[in-house]
Amino acid sequence: MKTVYVCSNTVTGIYSAIYDAWKARKGEEECSVALRGAVETELFCEYVEVEETVHKAQAVEALICRHLGREAYWDIYHAVLAADTGKGDAILGAMLAAKTIPDSRRIMEHLSHPKVEKVFELSRSVIGEAHFLKGAVRFRELAGGVLYARISPKAQVLTCLAPHFADRLPLENWMIYDRVHRMFVIHEAKKRWILVQDEFLDPERLPDLTEEEKEYTKLWKGFVHAVSVESRENLKLQRQHLPLRFRPDMVEYM
Amino acid sequence: MSSSESMTTYTYEGIPQYMPQGAGGLRPSMFQKLNILADAAKYDVACTSSGTARSNDGTGMGSCERSGICHSYSADGRCISLLKILFTNECIYDCKYCINRRSNDVIRTSFTPDEVCTLTIEFYRRNYIEGLFLSSGILRSPDYTMELIYAAIYKLRKEYNFQGYIHVKAIPGASKELIQKVGFLADRMSVNLELPTAESLKLLAPHKTRKNILTPMRLVQNRMAENKQELALYRNAPGFVPAGQSTQMIIGATPETDFQIMQVAQSLYQRFELKRVFYSAFIHVNEDSLLPARTDEGPPLLREHRLYQADWLLRYYHFRAEELLSEENPNFNVLFDPKCNWALKHLGQFPVEINRADYKMLLRVPGLGYKSAVRIVKARRVGTLDFSDLKKIGVVLKRAMYFITCNGKMLYPTKLEEDYIARNLLSAGEKLPGEVVNMGYHQLSLFDDVGFSGKMQQYM
Repeated sequence: MKTVYVCSNTVTGIYSAIYDAWKARKGEEECSVALRGAVETELFCEYVEVEETVHKAQAVEALICRHLGREAYWDIYHAVLAADTGKGDAILGAMLAAKTIPDSRRIMEHLSHPKVEKVFELSRSVIGEAHFLKGAVRFRELAGGVLYARISPKAQVLTCLAPHFADRLPLENWMIYDRVHRMFVIHEAKKRWILVQDEFLDPERLPDLTEEEKEYTKLWKGFVHAVSVESRENLKLQRQHLPLRFRPDMVEYM
Repeated sequence: MSSSESMTTYTYEGIPQYMPQGAGGLRPSMFQKLNILADAAKYDVACTSSGTARSNDGTGMGSCERSGICHSYSADGRCISLLKILFTNECIYDCKYCINRRSNDVIRTSFTPDEVCTLTIEFYRRNYIEGLFLSSGILRSPDYTMELIYAAIYKLRKEYNFQGYIHVKAIPGASKELIQKVGFLADRMSVNLELPTAESLKLLAPHKTRKNILTPMRLVQNRMAENKQELALYRNAPGFVPAGQSTQMIIGATPETDFQIMQVAQSLYQRFELKRVFYSAFIHVNEDSLLPARTDEGPPLLREHRLYQADWLLRYYHFRAEELLSEENPNFNVLFDPKCNWALKHLGQFPVEINRADYKMLLRVPGLGYKSAVRIVKARRVGTLDFSDLKKIGVVLKRAMYFITCNGKMLYPTKLEEDYIARNLLSAGEKLPGEVVNMGYHQLSLFDDVGFSGKMQQYM
C-alpha cells in the first residue's frame, strides 16, 4: 500500500517527510509527500503525519550533498521553496530515481524522468523569481534609519535574497517582509541576517517614513519618467519584462 | 547664458570643481536637475550592469553580480539598471543629431561631484539601481570634462566607499593619463562611435573625428591587456575596466547599409575586443537639413532589432558579416531573422542530422539556440535523439523542422525549396514584427528603410 507523508509547507517539513520516506526504504511507487492543506485523498493510501524536526532536515540536506552533489543540491534547495503543492513529491521522486542510475551525481541530467524534470522546472522558476526580486525590492527608510521593504512573491524566496543584500548593504539595518508567506529577513548592521517566521507584522505599527525618503521617492519617480524615450514607448514590452503583480510593492508605480 | 559666467572654479586636490548656477543666478532644484540630466542622457542605449562579480569588503556599500541586475523598466520597455545621467548637458560641440548640441536652446545645468555621489548612494541603498552610468556633454574641453567625471567617481569610490557598478564614458580627445585614471575606478568604459563611418561622422559631428574616437578605445584595450598580466602576477593589483568596454552607434541617420554596419561591428569585436556594440535607432530630436527627413514612422526599430539579432550571431554563433549580407544584398530581410534568412539561402547545407552534425553546424539551424545545441551534444552521447527529445531540450520545432533530420527522417515530408519553406514558415504563424503586420495600413514610401519592399512581394 502506498504511504503518503503529510507535512507543512516549510523546508524543515518537506525534508522531514523525505527523511521518513527514505527511512522506510520504500520504492518510487510506494510513497509520496503531500503538503498539509493540499492533500488529495486517494484510495488505498495510508496517510502519515510527519513529525518535523531540524535534525531530520539537516540529515536529508547532508544526504543530498553527499550523494547527489552540490549542483543537484542547489536545484533541490530552490525547488523546496517553490509555490507548488507537488514539490515534495517531485524531490522525493528525483532522489529515489538517483538510486537507480549508475552515477547518482548526474541525476539532474536525466530530464526525461518526469520527477527530475519537475524539480528542474521548479528550481528554474524560483531562481528566476529570486533574481528578478534582487532588482525589484524597494527599501524605504523609516524613522530611525531602518530600511524596510515589502515583497509579495509566489515562492519563498527570502532566503535567496538575504545573502545578496547582506553582502551588498553590510553597514545598514534593513528588513524585508514577505507578506504572502508572512516571513521576515532582518539584518542588523555588521551582523548576520536572520529569518523570522510565524510572526505577523502589523503595518500600523511601522514607524513613519522619513522626510528624506519622500524626497528620494519623488526623485526616483522623476528619473524613471525622464529616462524613457517617448517615441519608443512600448507599454506591452514593459509589462512583459515587469509583470503587474510586482508593481504594488515598487515605489515608482505606487 | 555663457558658460564662463555660470561657474566658479577652485581646486580640490588639483581637480577643478564646477559650481553650476541656473539662469539668472537661481539654482535649479535637485529634482529639476535630475530630470534635465536624465532626460538628456536617455538616448544613450547601454544600461547593462553585467561583466563584473565583486563582493563587498564589509566596509562600504555595494556589490556586483556577473549577470547584471535589472531594477526597473521604463515606459519604452527598456531596462533601468544604472542611474544614467549626464554630468552636464552643456556642450561645446554641435553634433547635428544630439539634443544637447550647442546651437540648441535648452536649459543647461550640471551636477557637482558631491551631488552625483549622494544621488548614487541614496538610490543604491534603496535598491533602485545597480550603479552609476556617467556620461557628459563637453564642458570647456575634453580634458576639463574628463577631470570632472574623474573627480565625481573618485569621490564615489574613495570617500563614499561605493563598490557597486560604474560605467563611464571616455571622452574622445581627453588625455591618456586621465582616461587611465578613470579606468582604474570604473567597471566598464565606453567611447561612442556615434556613426558607422568616418564620412558620416564628418558630416553630422563636425567637431569629432574617427581618430579621436578610436584612440581612447585602443588605449583602453591595451591597458586592459596589460592589466591582465599585472593581475596574473599580483592578485591584488587594481583592476582596469574589469567589465570590458563597449560602444554604440546611431542607425538610420546616415545612408550606411546593414552590411556596412555589420562589418564595422565585426571589426570592432575583432580588432578592439569590445564586449558589446550597441545600436541606437535614430530619433529625430533636431531639425537639420543634414538629417534624414522626418516621417511619421518613428525610429527604425525593426532595423535596430535585426542588427541586434545579427550581432548575436557574430558573437555567439560563429557567423561572419559576409555570410549574412553582401554587396548585392546589403540589407536584412524584414520577414525573417538573419539566421533564418541565411538558412533559406543556403539550403544546400540542410537538412542537418541532429545525431551527427558538429556543434557549429547545429548553431546554424533556425529554431536552435546555443543552449539547446549544447544540450543536444551532451544528450546524444547517452543515446540517439528523436523529435520528442528535441522538444524537451527546448528546440523550436515549428521552425527547425524544415532544416533537420533525426535518424535520417524529417518530422514531416518537406520540400527543400526556398519558396516552399518561406511560405510555410510564414503561414505557421512566424512571429512577424509589428512594423510588418501594420504594413497593410500605410503605403510604402520612397523614404522607407532601404530594400525592404522587394522582399515582401517575393513571399506574399
